[in-house]
Amino acid sequence: MIEILTKYFATFADGFLITLESSIIALIGSLVLGTLFAVLQLVPNKFVNRLAQAYVEIFRNIPLLVITLFFFAFVAPLVTHLGIAMDGFTAGTIGLTLYTSSFIAEVIRASINAIPKGQMEAGRTNGMTWWQTMRLIILPQAFKMSIPSLGNQFINLVKNSSVLAFVAGMDLMYQANNIAQSTFDSMGTYMVVALFYLVITLPLSYGMKYIEYRSNRGGNA
Amino acid sequence: MTEKMIQFQNVEKYYGDFHALKDINIDINAGETVVLIGPSGSGKSTLIRTINGLEDINSGKLIVDGYDLASPQTDINKIRKNVGMVFQHFNLYENKSTLENIMLAPRIVLKRDEKENHDIAMSLLEKVGLADKSANMPSELSGGQKQRVAIARSLAMQPKALLFDEPTSALDPEMIGDVLDVMRDIAKDSNMTMLVVTHEMNFAKAVADRVVFMADGQILEDSKTEDFFKKPKSERAQQFISQIEHH
Amino acid sequence: MEKAKKKRFGIILTLLSMIFFFGSIALLAVFSANSQDTTDTLERVKNSHRMVWGVKADTKLFGLMNTKTGQIEGFDVDIAKAVTQQIADDLNITIDPVFTQVTSSTRIQLLKNGNIDAFAATATITPEREKIIDFSNSYFDAGQSLLVKKGSDIKSVADLNKKGKTVLGVVGSNSVVNIKKYAPKAKVLGLSDYAQAMTALRAGQGDALTTDNGILYGMATENKGYVVVGGTFTTEPYGLAFDNNQGPIVRAANKALKEITASGKYNKIVKKWFDGVPGINWEDLKR
Repeated sequence: MIEILTKYFATFADGFLITLESSIIALIGSLVLGTLFAVLQLVPNKFVNRLAQAYVEIFRNIPLLVITLFFFAFVAPLVTHLGIAMDGFTAGTIGLTLYTSSFIAEVIRASINAIPKGQMEAGRTNGMTWWQTMRLIILPQAFKMSIPSLGNQFINLVKNSSVLAFVAGMDLMYQANNIAQSTFDSMGTYMVVALFYLVITLPLSYGMKYIEYRSNRGGNA
Repeated sequence: MTEKMIQFQNVEKYYGDFHALKDINIDINAGETVVLIGPSGSGKSTLIRTINGLEDINSGKLIVDGYDLASPQTDINKIRKNVGMVFQHFNLYENKSTLENIMLAPRIVLKRDEKENHDIAMSLLEKVGLADKSANMPSELSGGQKQRVAIARSLAMQPKALLFDEPTSALDPEMIGDVLDVMRDIAKDSNMTMLVVTHEMNFAKAVADRVVFMADGQILEDSKTEDFFKKPKSERAQQFISQIEHH
Repeated sequence: MEKAKKKRFGIILTLLSMIFFFGSIALLAVFSANSQDTTDTLERVKNSHRMVWGVKADTKLFGLMNTKTGQIEGFDVDIAKAVTQQIADDLNITIDPVFTQVTSSTRIQLLKNGNIDAFAATATITPEREKIIDFSNSYFDAGQSLLVKKGSDIKSVADLNKKGKTVLGVVGSNSVVNIKKYAPKAKVLGLSDYAQAMTALRAGQGDALTTDNGILYGMATENKGYVVVGGTFTTEPYGLAFDNNQGPIVRAANKALKEITASGKYNKIVKKWFDGVPGINWEDLKR
């Protein structure tokens, strides 16, 4: 294990950075998309609700790998004509973002539904629009309530980023597969990989706990 | 000249098969204080909630501040700007401090200047006796304090009318007095139209110009306060008053 | 005060559990590595009268699942059968060959765990791999080549050695390692298996697909519009793989390989699989 780590450190480091980059992009993207689709499921417009529900159900119920392969093998040739290069990294990160966003949408939707109806009524009778009340009153409370579940989603996201390996996205898992296959020392390789993932997920896990602690103490969102 | 603030004409409201409001007809004039009483389930809350569009009506005409609520051209937010509401469960914004609860809507809706907004909010907090709680979060206030902040929040919009939906029903008895005092002060302002759903008969006697009695979704009585308490016309109202007062 | 204590306790607990976790895995690894030395594969095969082979099921010509019969068929399978029979004959006992499907990523662990006795799965013999497992002598000499779309401007490996060119292969395969030497300027992408790599080539994710010529010819017969170009530019000796330090069975397998070559059985198998495959002259593969 030590031999694998020292001999292939540069390769692991490359993969680690790619995994980190993909995870950060997907984290931000899925939080934005997830929040958007949570809200769109609740706007007072049945048609928009249905569309948003369809989005969530589609991406939540299809394996991440299939979504990723769809972009890698099907969308890629369509967009190359437009001068867009859909490589494994891009396809994987898009897949990861869409997939995770559907789960985050459900988390946030559940939190919004858990906020007492009176909060929206108060905002509306106070003269604010539905969107203003949603943005200023409901969402801040819903986010605070969602922090523990969002932490779980983010940790899953980092681990799920290994889907990039399937489409040669050059991530940690991809490099690990390469090393494991060419050395045949899979035990050692994947133990090193576990350590590298922990380097991302443990601080993330503690970070989310800290944010949870702060938001409970501070109260002011 | 008395201007009509709220007009109900043959208003009907259903929840599925349940007939919640039956042929409602009342006019409330600007500056008037009207108390709406009746047994629970009689449709009082439903009625008051139709006035600012929290509940739709199925037929009839409802005109508030000159706007026809049933008309698709009516922007409900324009009515709400001028018609405040105080809820049974206060509904303070849980993520905002006391002061922010009061300042938020004027800033967003009226685009009120920030310093002016702050001054108005502070003077309202003083008026309801909670100037020292301006930085507190709602979770740190008692029920009575929350309700007084909620009233200040409604007043900050400088509305023409205020709707109170059982404002003291969720409060411990020792908290009720402070809230009623604040409401009494508001009622003294001759420009403010007030519609109050309550079980506080003493408050009604002291403050209301008129009392409206509802049962089973119908208005059974609409009289001057004095007349209502001296001799209610309907038997239901007589029963109701004696029940409440012997309680 | 209380909280700080709790927090520190939590961190220490986490660290301890991590140390425990990795420690036990390391111990397990050492323990299992040692314990495996005590099991002699040849003895096991002799006693059970079965020899379990891992073979590929997704590689045309070498090991492919026949969807009608549910049997895995191919050159690797037939060689494994012949070697098993020869070992049995040499020992004067009966040994039944049993075939189980493996992939590039599972074959090592299955071997290490003793789920399979050996594998014949298009594995190239390399010194690095020899550290982990034992190989027999070569049973097939493949050579690395290229598969491209008909009409592609790629004619040989030299055409790939340019910036902006992308070569597809299977992750960690020897051909992916090699192509970096022959076309250092090209980008190399390793997919999880040949089906994936072919899908990627069709999707325009790369300019060429590289692996051993035998496999590429198999793919070319399946995918009209794609051709093998440029001949071979490496030699890839395939070996039968056994767990580390299994001298007896490796020697038995080498002896068996020699004997089936001498008897002409080897050439029969070569003819069966490679006669008539466009681009291959099976006579060249005879031993």
